Amino acid sequence: MKKRFLESLSGFTVLKWFIYLFFFLFLLVPLFSILLVSFTGQPINLFGSLVSQKTLAKTIEKLSNVSLEAYSSLFEGKGYFDALLNSLKLSTGVALLVTIVVIPIAYAFARTKMPFKGLFATLCTIPLVVPTFISSYAFMLMFGKTGWVNHIYQALGGEGVLFDIQSMLGIVLVQVFYFFPYALWPMVAAFKISDLTLEEASQNLGAHSWYTFMRVTLPLAMPGIVSSMLLIFTVSFSDFGTPIILAPKDLNLIVVEAYREMAGFFNWAGSAVLTVIMLLVAAFFFWLQRLVIKGKEYGTISGKPTRQKMNDHKGVVSVLTTYSFLVVLIPVLGVASIFLSSLATTWGRHALPDGYTLSHYLTIFSTSHKNILNSLVLAGGALVLSVVIATFVSYFVVRRNSGGLDFISSIPLIVPGISLGIALIQTFNTAPLKLTGTAILLIIAYTIRRMPYMIRSTMSSMMAIRKDIEEAAVNMGASNLLAAVTVIGPLMLPGIAAGAILVFVTVIKETSISLLLAPTDWAPMSLAVFQNLLRGEYYTASAMAILIIAIVIVLQYLAKKLTKDQLY
Amino acid sequence: MGSVRIENLHKSFNGIAALEDVSLDIREGEFFALLGPSGCGKTTTMRCVAGFESPTSGKIFIGDRDVSNVPANQRNCGMVFQSYALFPHLNVFENVAYSLQVRRFYQGGFGTKLAVLGNMLNRKLGRVDKETEKKVRDALDFVELGHLADRLPGQLSGGQQQRVALARALIMEPAVLLMDEPLSNLDKKLRNSMRVTIRRIQQKVGITTIFVTHDQEEAMGMADRVAVMQGGKLVQVDTPTALYSNPGSTFVADFVGSSNIFKGKVKGTEASGTVIQLEGGQLLTSAFSAKREDVEVIIRPESIRLAAGEPVDAGDKSIEGTITMSTYLGPSIRYDVQVGNMQIEVDKTFEAGTPLLPPGTKVYLSIDPHLVVIL
Repeated sequence: MKKRFLESLSGFTVLKWFIYLFFFLFLLVPLFSILLVSFTGQPINLFGSLVSQKTLAKTIEKLSNVSLEAYSSLFEGKGYFDALLNSLKLSTGVALLVTIVVIPIAYAFARTKMPFKGLFATLCTIPLVVPTFISSYAFMLMFGKTGWVNHIYQALGGEGVLFDIQSMLGIVLVQVFYFFPYALWPMVAAFKISDLTLEEASQNLGAHSWYTFMRVTLPLAMPGIVSSMLLIFTVSFSDFGTPIILAPKDLNLIVVEAYREMAGFFNWAGSAVLTVIMLLVAAFFFWLQRLVIKGKEYGTISGKPTRQKMNDHKGVVSVLTTYSFLVVLIPVLGVASIFLSSLATTWGRHALPDGYTLSHYLTIFSTSHKNILNSLVLAGGALVLSVVIATFVSYFVVRRNSGGLDFISSIPLIVPGISLGIALIQTFNTAPLKLTGTAILLIIAYTIRRMPYMIRSTMSSMMAIRKDIEEAAVNMGASNLLAAVTVIGPLMLPGIAAGAILVFVTVIKETSISLLLAPTDWAPMSLAVFQNLLRGEYYTASAMAILIIAIVIVLQYLAKKLTKDQLY
Repeated sequence: MGSVRIENLHKSFNGIAALEDVSLDIREGEFFALLGPSGCGKTTTMRCVAGFESPTSGKIFIGDRDVSNVPANQRNCGMVFQSYALFPHLNVFENVAYSLQVRRFYQGGFGTKLAVLGNMLNRKLGRVDKETEKKVRDALDFVELGHLADRLPGQLSGGQQQRVALARALIMEPAVLLMDEPLSNLDKKLRNSMRVTIRRIQQKVGITTIFVTHDQEEAMGMADRVAVMQGGKLVQVDTPTALYSNPGSTFVADFVGSSNIFKGKVKGTEASGTVIQLEGGQLLTSAFSAKREDVEVIIRPESIRLAAGEPVDAGDKSIEGTITMSTYLGPSIRYDVQVGNMQIEVDKTFEAGTPLLPPGTKVYLSIDPHLVVIL
């Protein structure tokens, strides 16, 4: 028996336990201890309790004082409750608005002979490459008091500003225009999938096309629509970049509140409670979304493409084209505004900058080159760690049916960045594992946060490799590990590379984790932009933002190319 | 080289039995086919031998070595997969060299390990040693693919891929060669020529071979012995000729070639054999069987003689019937004959110049008692 155990302790098994340990240390324990903190109101040192009697005694004492006090303050001290309510309002509004905005575009993509589909699809990727705090800044450049849109508005005879950008409305608009692509493609799929023959039957029975759309097409696409609505809700709820830039002083939002409690006041109890609540809300909506799409996975690649009769009604098509163009145009204008601002000597008195200069780019390369380097190093570190973990996790999940790893590694999907950050800070704040304020914890946080996406990429390329290829290698004498290294690894390389680039990209974009966890020595580019904005160095911020966007676009293009030109 | 012995093999997946009490004794150098419809357990049996499935109970010996608990990579079974499972990122040479390289990796010192690993990851990172090089070249020449050594598998035809897979399995000098439906991905003409090629190579190397197939023609045409499987159990193990002429069950009779299968009753026993009463008439068989009264009678279509007009036999043992359909099959003609309520299939050798008998023709059938099987 003992011998069997030792034999089973091959390199692979050890590796598997290492991965479990990683998730246990840096995901489960932090989440658990933040849950404890939310009840005790005081920081808890779980690792310390393991090595030191004294800490253990303290921890036990704290745990014996468990109370719901922190939670009750949620309802008494009006602040937290308002924050939660406001956040829920915001996310609901954004989810509904995005759905309304996107349905016509999705229909146009899926069911009409709209021209420029390729161009629109490309433009739709723009909102996704821009970090939200940069898009918020872009909207300020457009709709702020001295924004060019308002200059035009005033030139046309308007009074004051179109609307106050630093308000709930401003936040909603930024999120709608920069999150809508998340909902677009699932909805396009939903419209494509709904059975055309039913529509024809409806029309055959004499129904008008409008009636057919409302009573047949739309209901059939409903699960897809609801699911993407819930997705948008979660994305909006967890988004930190927009509110931190645009929320006015009197508007409490839960992410901002949690950030302030942590970074501003080191209020453990408050930030713990907010973290737990955010997590619960995100988890609930994530679960709801899964519930809706359960058993209704729309095969976008599988299955035979059904022949669709495209709507080519001239009026409908031209209205939809114009509409789609306008929606897609706004985020692009935002990016263009940042670009213009990065080249401007000064901008604000007129619709266009007063003059043009490259000095802001010179500034960022001379004074902020450290930030650029930091970003590259941090993203590189997260990339390496993600590649190793994601590759082996997908191996264990796909080939060894390791359901446990599948579950653990997808937990980060429901943890908002701010929550993860606060949980990690709390857990690693003191000895023996004092990692808070180090680049290591920052890299680990990035890695955990992006792990599910990376794993999705590696898993799909793993699944594309037939099992018998691996069996052939084993049959010829290779151990599982050698087979993985010499055969599976090289075959997965394109998928791994693509996933790795995406991790790199998202780390460079990442805001919440960077703001919370990055020590001054290791401030990445996103943090530099943020600080520049706070200091009022807008043009430098713009230049740095453009640099981030450029890096992101180039790398994402590379990743796409890699997955497309799979070598074999 | 070695024999393969399987003792009381059981395998179940999630409580559902896939193999039940399979015992086989495969002789050294034998070409042994596992034949059966899909889901019969033939592939599971082979995968147990290869070590990809671990038996729920039972033992497997290769030669004298009990391999039941030996990991798949230490069993020394060469395997040709249904899809060939060639490594798409390695060229033909590297595919064939793989097992030798793996061996060198495990047996060599640190330097060799590094060199071999480098070469396997990227051909520019290390050289294949001279001995391996020569062995691979020889193996490729053996399957007549020496000129394609630098091609990637994706650039080869199905038949060429098949031969690479074969060379790759043989070069490791395995104790036993396992082939899982290796011809099913080829078109019919290529399949026939590959059948001959595989059989010839197997004879030349003299390697014990287990061949899984659902195609009775393949099994019968290539194997020394065939094991017919159904529902996870062995039904019959025999030489192809014995299997054909003496099927042990109606399932085997039906699966191996076409058969007329009738229900009948034993009427009595004569000096020359048993007389059986069928619906359409009496039948004499030389087989003495059946204490039972109800029997099943199996008659191969080509075992029946057919004559139009007058009875062939003077005796009363011929049966009268009417042709309902005539099908020209090239070398033979298939007549469907209605006898009473029975439909009987009869194959008659086609003789040039003789016209087919049209449907409606009255015919007399007679059957050699030796060629009737009763169960």
